[in-house]
Amino acid sequence: MEQLFSNLPLLISDSGNSKTLYHIIVIIFAAFAAFIPRYFPILFFSTRKIPEWFNEWMKYVPVSLFTALIVKGIFVTTAGYHFVPFGHVEQILAALVVMVVAYFTRSMAISVVGGLVAVWLLSMVI
Amino acid sequence: MAKAQINPEKARWLEVLGIAMPLCLSYIPIGLACGILLHAAGFNFIMTLVVSIVVFSGGAQFILASLLTIHAPLTSIFMTLFFLELRYALLGSSLSKYIKNESQHFIWLFAVSMNDENYAVNYLKFATDKKWTPKDGLLVEHYSLISWSVANMVGGLIGSTISINLEVVDFALTALFLYMVVMQVRNHLTLLICLLSAVLAVFFLVLTKSTLGIVIATLIASFIGFLIENTVRKHSKDPDSNWFLTKLFRPMATRITVEDQQERRELKKVKQQLDADREQTPSEHDD
Repeated sequence: MEQLFSNLPLLISDSGNSKTLYHIIVIIFAAFAAFIPRYFPILFFSTRKIPEWFNEWMKYVPVSLFTALIVKGIFVTTAGYHFVPFGHVEQILAALVVMVVAYFTRSMAISVVGGLVAVWLLSMVI
Repeated sequence: MAKAQINPEKARWLEVLGIAMPLCLSYIPIGLACGILLHAAGFNFIMTLVVSIVVFSGGAQFILASLLTIHAPLTSIFMTLFFLELRYALLGSSLSKYIKNESQHFIWLFAVSMNDENYAVNYLKFATDKKWTPKDGLLVEHYSLISWSVANMVGGLIGSTISINLEVVDFALTALFLYMVVMQVRNHLTLLICLLSAVLAVFFLVLTKSTLGIVIATLIASFIGFLIENTVRKHSKDPDSNWFLTKLFRPMATRITVEDQQERRELKKVKQQLDADREQTPSEHDD
């Protein structure tokens, strides 16, 4: 399997005439990488009786996941995954704005737009 | 709400569109940016459209663009994307109880067009809105898919003619997740789990050097949350007044959750029963 994959770029080079073909193959691979983790767990758990403890556990997944994604966005660099506590000061401040706005307005639209305006203004100042 | 009752069939898709609108709008700048990046990586606009439909994930597409520009081998493209998308396994598992009674075809459709952001919207609706159906959920997914893929295609068409400040654009999603977290933190325990998840996320992201860190941090943090709640419920006489499960102060506009509604209904029932008992008691005396 490993060898098959690594030989593919040799057969279909990513330069010249067969570039489109290479892109199509990339898309097919990407589609499978996107499809497998999405489909099979949801199929598995929606066709079986789910134990109560599992549901109780899954209850805490959203908050944990969203927090992890926020932390990745603000404190971890995309290239190299380095921890930068004060790498995006404007984003930290804008995040506080979003939290306050979300807490009081409870509106997704106002929170997101407010956050974008805040980060835009702050990025010009800082 | 009144409108929906008068003409429920006709107004529903519009109502759902209204709910999905903030998400669709915040996808436009990010989708444009993503399309521009894919264009720079050599994709033409049709390829960009196709990839945005089949992958449908901002993060994965950004990484795909950067992997293509450095001519990474197919194996590493596949593996990187696979680990990146592994978190959808968690999303799917936590939504599965809501779409249990749907057909196989529906589950397939629901799974392929699910991603972080529309999951966030759907989870909130499923948990707080009793009338929210799986079909509404699928509609939200499709609205967001349309706005995402069109934005991507337009980005691919305009290519490098405009430049977008990626950092500002990227913050739209962070803001969306922040909103979701603020909406979901209800008691001390969830707040604690958030902080724990944040620390774990940094640790495992730096350790694994991939988004697998997010999956590990989420699994551990949510499991600890489950363990603490379980222990408190088992060993405390009055679990709801335990420090962990005490509700945090919220502004007056607080959304009423399904759990709150249930609580109220049960209270009402008990009250009615008490009233009925009281009425019965004097009549027994008369006999």
